[in-house]
Amino acid sequence: MSAKQEKNGISSSKNTKTKSSYYLIHRAITSNSQWPDKDDFLDVIYWGRQILGLILGVIWGVIPLKGFLGLLLFCIVSAVAVYLYAFTFQNVDEEDYGGAWEIVKEGFVTSFAGFLAMWIIIFSGLHFKD
Amino acid sequence: MWADTLFIVLISVCAALFGEGLTWLLVYRTEQYKRLKADVERQCKKIEKKKEVGELSGLRQKKKLERDEDRLKTANRDLSMVKMKSMIVVGVSFTLILSMFNTIFDGRVVAHLPFTPISWLQSLSHRNLLGDDYTQCSFIFLYILCTMSIRQNIQKLLGFAPSRAASKHSTSIFGPQPNSVQVSPYK
Repeated sequence: MSAKQEKNGISSSKNTKTKSSYYLIHRAITSNSQWPDKDDFLDVIYWGRQILGLILGVIWGVIPLKGFLGLLLFCIVSAVAVYLYAFTFQNVDEEDYGGAWEIVKEGFVTSFAGFLAMWIIIFSGLHFKD
Repeated sequence: MWADTLFIVLISVCAALFGEGLTWLLVYRTEQYKRLKADVERQCKKIEKKKEVGELSGLRQKKKLERDEDRLKTANRDLSMVKMKSMIVVGVSFTLILSMFNTIFDGRVVAHLPFTPISWLQSLSHRNLLGDDYTQCSFIFLYILCTMSIRQNIQKLLGFAPSRAASKHSTSIFGPQPNSVQVSPYK
């Protein structure tokens, strides 16, 4: 394969990846989308949860929310948000994913770590001086 | 407080990128790893498909499935062996980096926790800090939290994280791994 053909091949593969990302985002924000590849839907849940964890960390740090209540509220909000998104907005069949629990727990641990880090950083930065 | 906490986030990001970069150099780009990974993915898909379609009616089919699962365990074990080399190098590097920063941040309150950690976590969150205020946070606790989030996400972003099906069936050389990675035994 010539260098030009190889370059065209690489840029075409990048274009395909970009297009599939746009398509994935489009499906994620459109209700009742079709998810032929189950991994795609779980990836949407995973990344959405990471973003939600960071946002909640910022909000909890700004208010500020403190103590066990903050931890508990995060767990509840995160689980409810994922449940509503999956079963109300997207209307997926839980049997396709091995049950509601498999969807609700997707990405929880990593998002919890991200939430804690963000909560601690914002809380310390806004409410304490060096 | 911003300077210390943001610096720790930066250290976590750099350490994660360094770890993945080193692993890519030693493992991910090798033909052996690519071949083994493709084998594992193929076997996983084959097994999941057989279970989905319900091809388990006869004894023959069940024995075939067992053979496939054995083949998968062997491939997984080989994959773990290939990754072992980089795991050791990355582990040693991380230990050196961590002890260096631990010395720099020794006795320093880098953040304040908005909650009081439970007793067994306090040895980590209040490590080498003076006093009894357990809402004071040490370097190591915040670093671990940042790393748990950042490293996993970087691995997924770069495409180095194993697929869910592969994680479900993964074993190390020490035997089956605890199912700490999210797995979807979906139909």
